Amino acid sequence: MINPEMNKLVETLLEGDHAAALAEARRLRTAGMASERIVTEGLEAAMQRLDDKCTVESFNLLEIMLAGRAVSAVVNELYPEGMPPERGRDTFVIATLEGDIHDLGKNVTKMVLIGKGYRVVDLGKDCPVENLVNAVEREHAHAVLVSGLITPVIPQVRRVRPALAARGLGGVRVVAGGAALKQATAGELNVDYVAETAFDGARYLDSLARGAV
Amino acid sequence: MNSLERVKAAIAFAPADHTPAVPQLFGHAAALAGVALEDYIRNGELLARCQIEAYRHYGHDMVFAFMDFSVETEALGSVLQYRANQYPDVVSYVLTPDSDVSALAVPDPTSAGRMPELLRAASILRREIGKEMPVAGCVLGPMTLATQLLGIETALYLAADDPGRFEKILDFAAEVAVRYGIAQIEAGAHLPIVFDPAASPAVVPPQFFRELLLPRLKRVFAAYRAAGALANWLNIAGPTAPILPWYPEAGVDIANFDYYVDPAEAQKLLPATCLDGNMKSLSFVEARPEEITAAAARLVTAFAGRGGFLLSSGCEIPLEAKPENIAALVAAARGGD
Ligand code: B12
Repeated sequence: MINPEMNKLVETLLEGDHAAALAEARRLRTAGMASERIVTEGLEAAMQRLDDKCTVESFNLLEIMLAGRAVSAVVNELYPEGMPPERGRDTFVIATLEGDIHDLGKNVTKMVLIGKGYRVVDLGKDCPVENLVNAVEREHAHAVLVSGLITPVIPQVRRVRPALAARGLGGVRVVAGGAALKQATAGELNVDYVAETAFDGARYLDSLARGAV
Repeated sequence: MNSLERVKAAIAFAPADHTPAVPQLFGHAAALAGVALEDYIRNGELLARCQIEAYRHYGHDMVFAFMDFSVETEALGSVLQYRANQYPDVVSYVLTPDSDVSALAVPDPTSAGRMPELLRAASILRREIGKEMPVAGCVLGPMTLATQLLGIETALYLAADDPGRFEKILDFAAEVAVRYGIAQIEAGAHLPIVFDPAASPAVVPPQFFRELLLPRLKRVFAAYRAAGALANWLNIAGPTAPILPWYPEAGVDIANFDYYVDPAEAQKLLPATCLDGNMKSLSFVEARPEEITAAAARLVTAFAGRGGFLLSSGCEIPLEAKPENIAALVAAARGGD
């Protein structure tokens, strides 16, 4: 159920109207609503509605990108320094690995996760596995998310888990996604989960956060 | 029958000695020859040599004057980063959302960037083996070129925020495709393949394809037909089932379909259009040759009663593919000899 106070915010987010969403978030804040609630009851509700609409068959990337841009604008407004880790929500590190310069899927995934209230550390594209592991350690991340659109990155994906284990980070989950990695199974990639879409990955991460997996 | 006759027969749904094997072998030809990819995509003569060598090695039915997806944008002023064994990427885009596309001029393929090298590759291939072998060139479709001029996210946001401005860029991109493709035909290519991966429903909704891209693709293909192209080939990967039915209207004679689309469904959606596909590109790296043989044989059988088929991968065969897997595909097309 959407809190009626949030109707306008959710609606503008889903329409992808970032200017209107920003104005509404400011209005709610000025009216005394806590940032935390705007995220959990506004942004997360919008993401849930988008998730319900986007099945694998009817996946409208443009719509998601526009909503994602609006969500990011609101998060930047609420947390200009970035999401604080102490909010108690999980932190994820996301990247496209070395040699792969596709980043649209990664950026969409990041927007969806931010919209769900997670803290996401983005290492960009063309990222060496070492940087990924360093970031997990530094940020106390709960999972590593790799996006891969070209097949030559697969050997690097397989190295992520051993590289984490070598640093005593063996408990950190590894999630893969993107057109090239989707063609393989989790076993073949040596990861915990292969996501079909950003929402599918987010659902898996939700279940981790709830301790269900 | 030689390869050219075999491919022509498939396009015309006429009988042939066997299914043509048309694996999408681009940069893999460099890897096979032990040549750095960077040299391959910058030197048309080297590219042609490697393509001929790959053909002698595998005996497939088409060669490709294909460099990468950044040739046009580089020729227009974007700056690329090259690496020894990877395709280059754009580090600085020539257009921003505010720039005026009418300030750009359609590049002259005989002098702009690497375009002349690609033309050189096409003409060498035509001269040396093109009597019997179809020589395919490569141009970017309007949507993908637009994303390569602006950056993909910028392009998609512009399409939503200022459709009028975005359409001007699409028109310009279509003009570039017409001029560059015709230059390839004149240089010796039998046909330029139009690659428009960003037009895939993985990126834009089917309605966007129909309203904004279809009319421009139509213009591009009509121009190629008038310039004497052997056929019009549209190559879009990913989940294309919703847009395939519009291909005939665009003037497409050969339609690529990826592993996302079932062969029976593709046949139903395009009953009178030659199809090429749909082996998983990754399987050429990961699978064993027996698995390729089995998958390829299933495809050949699925099209046996109908014809109009080129046995191919649903998108590019990765550089690091195992040669024995490509050989298995070619053997399967010939009926497993
Ligand atoms: C856009 C695009 C480009 C753009 C990239 C722009 C950018 N900044 O990202 C440009 C034009 C630059 C490009 C370049 C190249 N590309 Co390209 N590209 C594409 C294209 C059309 C769309 C990819 C895309 O963005 N899709 C939309 C996004 C949103 O989808 P997605 O990434 O799958 O993400 C979704 C999910 O998978 C998920 N997701 C993604 N990552 C993750 C991660 C996690 C953890 C989770 C949970 C979820 C998740 O979230 C998203 C939403 O659900 C595809 C073709 C296609 N139809 O898929 C080819 C494609 C991926 N490209 C391909 C190739 C080969 C290349 C080049 C090598 C081309 C060349 N020959 O020059 C170069 C690569 C250079 C390099 N070194 O990387 C091939 C890959 C083949 C292969 N199997 O290896 C494809 C399949 C095209 C083809 N051959 O037809 N490309």
